[in-house]
Amino acid sequence: MNVFKREMRDNRKALIIWSIGVILMIASSMGKYAGLSASGQSINDLLAEMPQSLKAVMGMGTFDLTTAIGYFGVLFIYLAMMATIHSAMLGANIISKEERDKTAEFLFSKPISRNKIISSKLLASFVNILILNLVTFVSSILMVEKYSKGEAVIGDITRLMFGMFILQLIFLFIGTVIAAVSKHPKTAPTLATGILLITFMLSIGIDLNTGLEKLKYLTPFKYFDAKNLISVRGFEPVYMILSVLIIAVLLSATYVFYKHRDLNV
Amino acid sequence: MNVIEINNLTKNYGKERGIIDVSFNVEEKEIFGFIGPNGAGKSTTLRTLLALIYPTSGSAKIFGKDCIKYGPEIKKEIGYLPSEVFYYDKMKVIDLLKYSASFYKKDCSKRISELADAMDLNLNKKIDDLSFGNKKKVGIVQGLLHEPKLIILDEPTSGLDPLMQQKFFELLQEENKKGATILFSSHILGEVQRMCNRVAIIKEGRIIQLEKISALQENNYKKIRVQTTVKLDENYFNIDGVSNLVVSQNMISFLFKGNINSIMKKISEIEIINVWVEEPDLEEIFLHFYEKGA
Repeated sequence: MNVFKREMRDNRKALIIWSIGVILMIASSMGKYAGLSASGQSINDLLAEMPQSLKAVMGMGTFDLTTAIGYFGVLFIYLAMMATIHSAMLGANIISKEERDKTAEFLFSKPISRNKIISSKLLASFVNILILNLVTFVSSILMVEKYSKGEAVIGDITRLMFGMFILQLIFLFIGTVIAAVSKHPKTAPTLATGILLITFMLSIGIDLNTGLEKLKYLTPFKYFDAKNLISVRGFEPVYMILSVLIIAVLLSATYVFYKHRDLNV
Repeated sequence: MNVIEINNLTKNYGKERGIIDVSFNVEEKEIFGFIGPNGAGKSTTLRTLLALIYPTSGSAKIFGKDCIKYGPEIKKEIGYLPSEVFYYDKMKVIDLLKYSASFYKKDCSKRISELADAMDLNLNKKIDDLSFGNKKKVGIVQGLLHEPKLIILDEPTSGLDPLMQQKFFELLQEENKKGATILFSSHILGEVQRMCNRVAIIKEGRIIQLEKISALQENNYKKIRVQTTVKLDENYFNIDGVSNLVVSQNMISFLFKGNINSIMKKISEIEIINVWVEEPDLEEIFLHFYEKGA
């Protein structure tokens, strides 16, 4: 419990800053929606004339931007991006920082096994990403309901946030596994965010070019596409199974690799 | 009873040499010195004992249990001071020590204040604001606060002023009297000589000598200086057992190992003004080892 508590305290400031960032992002974006919806149907006409590729790059896809939830669907991909960057960096840092700051010789000479240290750190990360997710969830509901003119949005937002949470978990464990394998503690966060950006670009690439459709299994961002989560399709079993598998593999790899390698002391 | 048993321990870092075939035992209540120059493999050996790194081959036991397999269990009774001390910069000294104590299931608060008093350490400063010597003091308190049965120290005195070194050695001797076993690495021979019962000398990853301090000093070597009336032939004393021979004007000095009678006869055959026969310090013996090996 002592390592868990220490990690919670150590990450508190960063979590507060990320939370404020997410709240500001939602508040300012939905504020723009207020201006947009005042222009009535014309915004959809305007968008209809926009080239498909531009819309794909902007993440607008096929959303109905005149509804608050449709507008939020566009915003979702940016929120997911922020939350996953937070997760990937948190995961990579929480494991690698003991070696980076040379505190590993202190911590690992204590009577506690490496597995227990990893478990405490993972639990602290889990609580951190859950809090960020809940902050996003609550502020989304508050802001979207404000503009939705009485439409029911809680169901859609819940599905979106659940999807985002699984994305956060996947990238958290991508971060931890890189830090567990890598002997160079400073490169772990860079590598983790690098992988994140590549998979993110790939998901946009797939939107742009239907020829890349088959690559959709390679990028977790495609597993939880906002347009599917908002529409009746909901969660697809194949992506859910894939997500669980990926998380299980990354999680056990984190333990196995970290337990068996020399610490960089 | 052996507190530490090291058997043919070998560690390679990829192609780089770490340690090769290191074996020695540390007995209960002993103060054991582990000496060698920088990069000889002292820290590698100690870090393997603490399971921070894993051996390539061979094994080590602490309290009769394998140091890798039973790591968390045996570390309850180990206090470790690394050669370079790094702690969480943003923490206060007292918070770090409390964090350290939280890993051991006993109340250490009284002990913390005792040790801090003895080492003259301000508990309310931030780690970040401490000088190197003061960080070292934090390390010492951190290593001793749970009254471990085995204390492992990696070059503990670097950064401490002579007064603090004195205090620190007194602390260690106290712990030793209470029953703690101490393994002590250093490249400063004077402190090893002062503190330790036995010593292992490591060079380029291998143990080259394992002896009692007393044996190293008394039984084998004499440091002899002779002042003569006339200038002697440079090779007059160049016989078996003589090393480090230095001849300058009428002064001749050398280390001698062997039958003391043979050298006394040599001395009696010449006209001398003065003669000194002394115990060499470890430094000189050590230098001798190194030259021989090189």
